[in-house]
Amino acid sequence: MFLNVVFSLSALLTVSGALMVVVTRNLIHSCVFLLMSLLGIVGLYVTLNADFVAATQLVVYVGGVIVLMLFAVMLTGGNNTKEVLSRFGFESLPLMGNVKTYFWGILSAITMMSVAGNLIYRVAQSSLASVLEQYKSSVDEIGTKLLTDHVLSFEISSILLLGALVGAAIIARPLGSKQLNEEK
Amino acid sequence: MNQTIVSYLSELFAVNFSPWVVILIFFVAVFVVVNVMALIGGLATYAERKISADLQMRIGPNRVGPYGLLQFLADGVKMITKEDTIPRDADKFIFALAPLLCLLGVLATLAVLPFSSGLTLTDLNIGIFYLLGVSSLVGVGIFLGGYASNSKWAMLGGMRGAAQIISYEIPVTITILSIVLISGSLSLNQVVERQGAFPNGWLLFHNPFSFIGFFIYFIGALAETNRAPFDLPEAESELVSGYHTEYSGMRFAFFALAEYIEVFVVCAVATAFFLGGYKIPFNYGAGTLLGQALQVAMFFAKTFALYYVVIWIRWTLPRLRVDHLMTICWKYLTPIALFNLVGIAMWVWLFNGRSLYMIIKQALVISGK
Repeated sequence: MFLNVVFSLSALLTVSGALMVVVTRNLIHSCVFLLMSLLGIVGLYVTLNADFVAATQLVVYVGGVIVLMLFAVMLTGGNNTKEVLSRFGFESLPLMGNVKTYFWGILSAITMMSVAGNLIYRVAQSSLASVLEQYKSSVDEIGTKLLTDHVLSFEISSILLLGALVGAAIIARPLGSKQLNEEK
Repeated sequence: MNQTIVSYLSELFAVNFSPWVVILIFFVAVFVVVNVMALIGGLATYAERKISADLQMRIGPNRVGPYGLLQFLADGVKMITKEDTIPRDADKFIFALAPLLCLLGVLATLAVLPFSSGLTLTDLNIGIFYLLGVSSLVGVGIFLGGYASNSKWAMLGGMRGAAQIISYEIPVTITILSIVLISGSLSLNQVVERQGAFPNGWLLFHNPFSFIGFFIYFIGALAETNRAPFDLPEAESELVSGYHTEYSGMRFAFFALAEYIEVFVVCAVATAFFLGGYKIPFNYGAGTLLGQALQVAMFFAKTFALYYVVIWIRWTLPRLRVDHLMTICWKYLTPIALFNLVGIAMWVWLFNGRSLYMIIKQALVISGK
C-alpha cells in the first residue's frame, strides 16, 4: 500500500515534471522542472528497491548536472524569452531545416516509437503485478560486481574521467608569457 | 522499507504492529524530530547571539523570558507578521521555491541521523551517500534564490554560494570515503557501532590520517554551510546580505532556519563519524529506555560542543577572500584529503584495520610490560 502511494506520487512527479520542461518557455524554469522530474525518478528507483542507484541519481543529477545546467543557462543568458520571440517579429519560430532533415527526423521518430511501443506492449502483456522481493541492500553486490566481473569497464571509465580532468586543467590553466606573445 | 524506530519499539514491547500503526508511529516520530530540530535551529540563533555577546564582552539578548531565552520566539513572531515582499522584476515562481528547496534539503538529511541506536528514523544501508545527495539540494536552493531575486548583490551571493558548495563537497566527500574505508559500511549506525565509547575507540584517534581527516571534514563542512570564515555568499560588508538580500519575513526565516539546522546536521555527522556518536561507556543501560535516553543525551552533548566551536570560530576569525577560498579548497584541502585516502587505505591493509591504540597495546603486551 505504502509502496503504491510512493510509486504513484513519484510517477506523477516524473511525468508532470517532464511535461512542464517542454511546455514552459523560460529556460531556468525548465531546469527547475527537470530537477522535479529527476527527483521523481529517485522515488521510482526507491520503489524498485534499487537504493544505491537512487542515491547515485540524487548525487549525480540533483547535485551535479542540474547545477551545471543552471550555470550554463544563466551564463549564456537563456532566460531572455522576449528577445527570442520577437527577433523575427513572429510569435513562433519559423520552420527549421529542409526536406532531408524532416525525412530523417520522421524516420528516426518512427523507429524509436516502434521500439518503445514494442517494449511497452510486451510489458503490458506480462503480468507485472508480481510481489517485489524483500528489501535487500544492493550496495555490496554492486561493489563486488564492479571490482570483479566489470572491472574493465570500471577502469576504462576511470581513465575517461582522468582524461576529462586533465583536459579541464589544460583549458583553465593560465597562459604563460610565451604563449601570450604568440597569441598577439 | 526500513524504519528503525518502529522496529526498535516493536522489539522493546515485543509486539508486531499492523501496517497502519507503523505508518502512524513513523509519522509521529518524524513530526517530533523535525519540530525538535526546528526548535534547535531557533535556539541556535539565541545561542549565536549570546555567545557572540560573550566573546565581545556584551550582554546580549536578556529581555524576553529568563536570560532572554524566548528571544527566538519573539523573532519568529516578528518574521511572521512582517510584510512578504517580492521584487517586481523577480522570477516569482523560483523566488518562492528557493527557500523551500533549501529547507527540504536540510530536513531530508535528518532521516538518517543516528540520535541513538533506537531513535534513528531510518538506518539506510546507503545512509552516508543519501546524506551527501540530499544536502546538495541546499546548493541549488541558494543558487536559485540568488538568481530569482534579480538583484546584483543576490546574484553575486548565489554564484559564490553555488561555486563554494560544489568545490568544498570534494574534500568533504573524499574524507567521508576514507571513513567508509575504515568502517566498511555506508550506514551511519554501523559506523557508530564500530567505534568505542572512550576516545581511544573513536575514529578520530584511529590513526594519524583520520585525525587529519577530521579537520578537513570540519573546515569543509564550515564552508558548505556558509559559516564564517567562509560566509562569502552573504558577506554583509560587500554584498549587503548576499543571496537573501531581497527576501523578507518567513521566506528569509526559512533560509536562516535551514542554515542553522544544517550546521547542526554537519556537527552531528562529525560526531557520528569521528567522535564515537551515541556510544555510552560500558554500554550502560543497554536494551532499556534509560540507555536510549543516555545515548541521545551523549549524542546531543557532543554535537552541541561542536556547535559551540562553530559559533566560536565565526566570531573569532575574519572572512576569507574569494580567491583564497578557492586556493584553500583546491590547492590544500583536496590534495591532503586524497593523500589521506591513500594513507588510510594503506593503514587498513597493513594493520588489518586495527587502530593505533590497539597496535601500541599489542606491542606493549608482546614486549612484556
